[in-house]
Amino acid sequence: MPETTFLDSTELVLNMGPQHPSTHGVLRVILKLDGEKVMGTECVIGYLHRGVEKIGENRTYLQFAPYVDRMDYVAAVSNGLGYCLAVEKLLNIEAPPRAQVTRVILTELNRVASHLLWLGTHALDIGAITPVFYTFREREEVLKIFENYCGARLTTHAFRIGGLQYELYDGFEEQVKAFCDMFLPKVDEYEELLTNNRIWVNRLKGVGILNADECKEFGVTGPVLRAAGVSWDLRKAQPYSGYEQYDFEIPTAQNGDTYDRYGVRMREMRQSVRIIRQAVDKIPAGPIGKTPKVIKPPVGEAYVSIEAPKGELGYFIVSDNSTQPYRVRVRPPSFINLQALDRMVRGGLVADVVAIIGTIDIVLGEVDR
Amino acid sequence: MAATPWEGELPAALKQRFGDQISECSTYLGQNFAVVKAEAVIPILEFLKLEADFDYLVDITAVDYPNRTERFELFYILYSFARNERVRIKTAIADGYKPGTATAVHSVANWLEREVFDMFGVQFAGHPDMRRILMPEEWEGFPLRKDYSIIKQDDRWVKENLGIESGQ
Amino acid sequence: MNKFLRSIFLVDLFQGLWVTFRNQNPKYIYTEQYPGERPKVAERYRGAPRLNINPDNGETLCIACNLCALACPETLIVVGSERNEQTRRKDLTTFTYDLSRCMFCGLCEDACPVDALELTQDFELAAYTRDGAIWDRQMLEEGPRPTRYKF
Repeated sequence: MPETTFLDSTELVLNMGPQHPSTHGVLRVILKLDGEKVMGTECVIGYLHRGVEKIGENRTYLQFAPYVDRMDYVAAVSNGLGYCLAVEKLLNIEAPPRAQVTRVILTELNRVASHLLWLGTHALDIGAITPVFYTFREREEVLKIFENYCGARLTTHAFRIGGLQYELYDGFEEQVKAFCDMFLPKVDEYEELLTNNRIWVNRLKGVGILNADECKEFGVTGPVLRAAGVSWDLRKAQPYSGYEQYDFEIPTAQNGDTYDRYGVRMREMRQSVRIIRQAVDKIPAGPIGKTPKVIKPPVGEAYVSIEAPKGELGYFIVSDNSTQPYRVRVRPPSFINLQALDRMVRGGLVADVVAIIGTIDIVLGEVDR
Repeated sequence: MAATPWEGELPAALKQRFGDQISECSTYLGQNFAVVKAEAVIPILEFLKLEADFDYLVDITAVDYPNRTERFELFYILYSFARNERVRIKTAIADGYKPGTATAVHSVANWLEREVFDMFGVQFAGHPDMRRILMPEEWEGFPLRKDYSIIKQDDRWVKENLGIESGQ
Repeated sequence: MNKFLRSIFLVDLFQGLWVTFRNQNPKYIYTEQYPGERPKVAERYRGAPRLNINPDNGETLCIACNLCALACPETLIVVGSERNEQTRRKDLTTFTYDLSRCMFCGLCEDACPVDALELTQDFELAAYTRDGAIWDRQMLEEGPRPTRYKF
């Protein structure tokens, strides 16, 4: 007596990507479909693999810093901060207060920029074409601050091991404050466009649910975890770079669906502005830190992680007391969050796959490294 | 600054439970780690998950030391939401040894172990899907091994698939 | 009941449309008419490299110390020098900068002890050939000459 199974002919295999516009890069998802229903997925990644970890073993500590910007290129400042903190930990040094406050301002601005890019493209994937123009307009203001500060807009290379390379330019505080004042009403504007919009709500509510236990099981961090009701943020849990001085909240939601993740990220942008405002008011005077002449950490290893816009970004560096790291391991949030995609889309509809890929907020440069 | 012994309840519990399978419990730069025997890794992960709340496996990675007899060092980084604490489990394995998979304990280990296999050629016994993840499937060689030079590549694969002599 | 009425009268959709309508205001125009209107990049912008020459005597500032070549992560700078027996110093002979691999990180600029090598505000670096992206000393001293368009 043969087992009753689905006939193979009812299952359709559909290739999504690597050139699909809403896979946010070169992600290829092989979907197994039963009609409109997704029975299973398989992610094929690696199209953008550049061997960043191998490059790290063949560069000096200082030379490797520009490469980390190229992993998560929409949040290059966060990547640079994580790397600098990891090497500083190995060297057992700390950046001076002025450098730390500047780092906080720039990383929070970067978080805003990253979330803005996410919001625009995510809305575009779902069919709301307007927000992408507005979010890119505001993101431009952030990029202008980066350009004025360190001379590059996207892959900034803003920080150096031990502090900063560039002193703040004249008018930095005013420009950042003007951005904050301009930006908060704009967030309200995005919310007016989307939050109550019936198409938006219907497309997102109850789609791609990942509850707290599943998040922990799959190691999912960042806004996805917070939307599932876990109030966990590395900036609060294990503060780095002086985050304990700032007063801010961790936005959370309960349902863990796509709509909640949208809400969490919107509130996170507001909290980032709150941090920036506090930080700008108290930039201390003093040195901005100097890169050590010779960077030769003692033999040992350290794991340092920060809260990047996408989740926990960790650097695990093994040193053998030479000028080059013996091994650099990057724990990319996108790579690990993407693994939960299968759990989120299984049983859903094909059209929801696009929404769910968008909501994880992956950057393929970081997934493939 | 050298590593100092890691004191406290958790290392004591680990040592009591696993005895001589744990060879060292230390702290370096404020980060706790335990050096354990390779076959004890999965029971320790399970013990830490069930009895010490280390419910989040942050990362699995490896480091290659070509001159040692036990060539690879495997690292398991764990985090506990309840304790707000990190622990690193460290083990050394020889080339060709197949450590057990952690997928049954933490689902996140699936892709992480695939990446370790992809980059170092460490096969995990019992892994549901032991294939390459970032490199092309037919690629030969394991890029993050120390004897794999940075300009080296699989010439045959590049020629067959890209139709060029050099991938540089 | 209120919610029902709001959904009947499409309040949520009109709310969004009102935002779009507000943004029709010409003062929100953000597009730059490049290349007719050239963007003004920041003072610290890291663009095309330039090898500075001393304005007084027209000699190069570079002392051929090779520090930029050592600092470069991509090792794309090649400095050629020969020893001058009169001044007992090294004189710069050739300087090659491979822009096709440059990622404008600014480490060479930081390493330069005499501010001879500098990343400037020129950003139009396209070339017709791969060789065109490899700049020699003359090109580095003169800088690129982008086409200026008139509209």
